[in-house]
Amino acid sequence: MKTLGRILIILAAFALVMGMTYAAVNAVSSSTTLRTFDGAGEGSPRPEGAQPQIPNGQRPEFPGGEGREGRAGGIVRLILGTVKNVGLIAVVVVLVVWIKNYMEKQKRGAQGATES
Amino acid sequence: MTETQTTTKNRTKTKLVLDIIIFIAFLIAMEPRSSGITIHEWLATSLIAVLIVHLLLSWDWITQITRRFIGKINSQSRLNYILNWSLFIDGTVIMLSGFMISESLMPYLGIQLPRNFAWRGLHEFSTNLFLLLLGLHTALHWSWVVDTFKRYVFQPVLRIFSSKPSKDMTT
Repeated sequence: MKTLGRILIILAAFALVMGMTYAAVNAVSSSTTLRTFDGAGEGSPRPEGAQPQIPNGQRPEFPGGEGREGRAGGIVRLILGTVKNVGLIAVVVVLVVWIKNYMEKQKRGAQGATES
Repeated sequence: MTETQTTTKNRTKTKLVLDIIIFIAFLIAMEPRSSGITIHEWLATSLIAVLIVHLLLSWDWITQITRRFIGKINSQSRLNYILNWSLFIDGTVIMLSGFMISESLMPYLGIQLPRNFAWRGLHEFSTNLFLLLLGLHTALHWSWVVDTFKRYVFQPVLRIFSSKPSKDMTT
């Protein structure tokens, strides 16, 4: 029961953040002119305020989203991408741990000086 | 060993295994162009459940720091707390923007969502930010990572290799 309550609190926090994000993005989208699916390359531009015509059940592709599955060399790319991401995380970890250790040493040195 | 010690040991082991799973899944989900959009979406969605368990395992720490946040706590705990909230918010933004631009999961569930390019930009930005925050999160817990790996991974493996082979009874 306790665990269920905790899960509900987490889900409520999830929902709250999602709701706030959704509202913020909608507010920004409505205040600025955003590029939507206006059938680029299909002739005349869509009139202002008109909804894009998307056939039912079809999801229009965003740039760069084409043919991402079943590509040859996908595993190699996955490994390379993973190495890049792990490398980035490692750089952050090394930097922060090094700074933290350095600060702790300085603090200990200052404490030792005041004690002696 | 007391019951409390055994519980703590088991919880630490569970946390370690869970964190490794989250880390590997996150790395795979970070490469949708290689793993495929379907795997990317389903894997990322299933991470919600794992992240909830991760939060439940740290629940005592979360409630303790939430109560004492305004009062007197050390700066590292405060920084950790702020960072963890940032990770939570950023993770939620990634999930929402991911759902909004979903090409596999939402159509599979029969849900049609209005789409615009703002969600894609937000998804990419929040993912890159998450990578940085994850690095900071790992860095702040580095001593725990090293200690736990030593205790539950390296030492048991070394013990296996260093243990003397049993005497052959036939000789």
